[in-house]
Amino acid sequence: MTEDVNQQLIETLDRRVERRNDRRAFFKSAFGAAAVAGIAGGAAIGLAGRAEAQTAPSDADVLNFALNLEYLEAQFYSYAANGTGLAANLLTGVGTQGAVTGGRKVNFTDPIVAAYAKEIAGDELAHVTFLRTQLGTAAISQPAIDIDVTATSAFSNAARAAGLIGAGEAFDVYANDNNFLLGAYIFEDVGVTAYKGGATLLTNKTYLEAAAGILAVEAYHAALVRTVLYRKGVETPALRTSADAISNARDSLDGTTDLDQGISPTTVSGALVSNIVPLDANGIAFSRTVAQVHNIAYLTNARVMAGGFFPNGTNNPNADLRFSGAN
Amino acid sequence: MDSTNILTQVLEASDRRRDERRNFLRVAGQATVAAGGLSLLAACDDGQKGFNPTPTPTPTPTPTATAATDADILNFALNLEYLEAQFYSFAVYGTGLPASQLTGVGTQGAVTGGRQVTFTDPIVAQYAREIAADEIAHVAFLRTALGSAAVAMPAINIDGSATGAFTAAARAAGVVSATGTFDPYASDNAFLLGAFIFEDVGVSAYKGAAPLLTSKTYLDAAAGILAAEAYHAGLIRTILYGKGFDAGTASGSIFDQVRMISDARDSLDGSTDDDQGIAGADSSISNIVPTDASGIAYSRTAANVLNIVYLTKSATVGGGFFPNGVNGFIKTSNAN
Repeated sequence: MTEDVNQQLIETLDRRVERRNDRRAFFKSAFGAAAVAGIAGGAAIGLAGRAEAQTAPSDADVLNFALNLEYLEAQFYSYAANGTGLAANLLTGVGTQGAVTGGRKVNFTDPIVAAYAKEIAGDELAHVTFLRTQLGTAAISQPAIDIDVTATSAFSNAARAAGLIGAGEAFDVYANDNNFLLGAYIFEDVGVTAYKGGATLLTNKTYLEAAAGILAVEAYHAALVRTVLYRKGVETPALRTSADAISNARDSLDGTTDLDQGISPTTVSGALVSNIVPLDANGIAFSRTVAQVHNIAYLTNARVMAGGFFPNGTNNPNADLRFSGAN
Repeated sequence: MDSTNILTQVLEASDRRRDERRNFLRVAGQATVAAGGLSLLAACDDGQKGFNPTPTPTPTPTPTATAATDADILNFALNLEYLEAQFYSFAVYGTGLPASQLTGVGTQGAVTGGRQVTFTDPIVAQYAREIAADEIAHVAFLRTALGSAAVAMPAINIDGSATGAFTAAARAAGVVSATGTFDPYASDNAFLLGAFIFEDVGVSAYKGAAPLLTSKTYLDAAAGILAAEAYHAGLIRTILYGKGFDAGTASGSIFDQVRMISDARDSLDGSTDDDQGIAGADSSISNIVPTDASGIAYSRTAANVLNIVYLTKSATVGGGFFPNGVNGFIKTSNAN
């Protein structure tokens, strides 16, 4: 009798510890960095901050969060590489379906950049299809997306915040190879941090493996774009400084932790070292929370439900996952 | 007894039971990672309407009765990081890791081979320095996370001579003739091909291992290293693509050599076609990112990763880049 009670208590306590850690992990805004700092210091992994009594998002909520980003990337690259958007049957689902504003085929002069654009477009389309298939009738529809290039479009606002253009000017990401690469740069590292932050929220191991696989692909993409900008930056230094400025602009929106790094090299023992891979001191990529990703997507450091690339906000049956954070 | 004492006893009992569980698994059987177990979890329906998880294509299940612990998995990764870190450290600096970074559980070995590359393209040198720093950081991180459980660096062969592991790999791939030598330290392009041998393998290894970790903290760290290795692989593949684009897929070209190495890895790691070169279907599209039809990167089981680094199709405990095998519980390649 005592044996059974003890056993029950052990298992209950195990589960409680696990659930509490999961809740704390979800709400901790810089989980990755702080946990890693704990490891680097040799200390036990501590989770600072108090957990709040809220429900953790479901796996479907997390996949739907990711699907919004994939819609955005897939549409941008599809237009940029091929001059057309996604097929209509890939856009339907739960929530308010919106339209894509803007988007056209890039005027490529470098066939290698054109080849990269076509490859990435294929990958992002595959991600949309994959997530929609996993979610089935729970998949959100594509929300309204702004990939236009007027002076008040999201790309222009992002570029202006980074100091690439002045007041009243437009940043046309479809105009040439370099602008396209900088437009791509706006998205790719964000996708990496989003999937890294989201991976630990997933409970189903199959989804976790899939999320890890998409995380890897977004990292391959980000490296591709960063490497091309870095290499072309030898002849065109503005490409490197523009990329750096975009990183700084992202950092200004998503809170005080330094999660973002430009590509410009540093000098170590008199030798230049590139920064293609944005990592912390342990060689580990950064995470962003759902809210932080929205800060960048909405181009705001405020807690709002819409803006920037998603004029009417992202879609998600769990409204908590549609907000940016107050930073 | 009052409730505090009872609670203390229960918590201690809980810790003991957990350790006993792990020790049981540790001694119970062969140390291959239970990748096949993933398919058992695939059919979970979380009860939400319309949300019916369809399992992603899983690798061929590896029959095993045991699962590795988190420490086993991190130690497996640490072996790979030792290999990469030493290769890049020698290539960039002409020296290996400091002695304090090599000690630990199991038989400590030495590095055979390795020398500084005389880079002709300063940009490639900058990339090499960056990657070297990252891999050295990965070794340090994993060693700290594992503490006294960290394995020592096993014997590693990164030799560029006729009898080195790189030559064995290159001959098997057809990059050099049956009597040729492949020296990854001889030129920029040779270095890039040498790096290419490792980087995608690291990605697939971390992707295969990450879902098996039970600690969310370690999972987060593994995801972060997975991302880093994918950035590295993307970087290397992009450089090779840019350098190789003009010559296309002609015999002996960069694209062709990359394809041969990729095919060689595929020939060792079982029947799944999970490795790809960098050339797309034609010159209008690249293949920087090796993905399946869903745009998802591939996984490898630990055993199949060992097939590649041991340079064998057989089930064995050493060879190739690890002449005496890796250290730790996960050390046997698959019979493919």
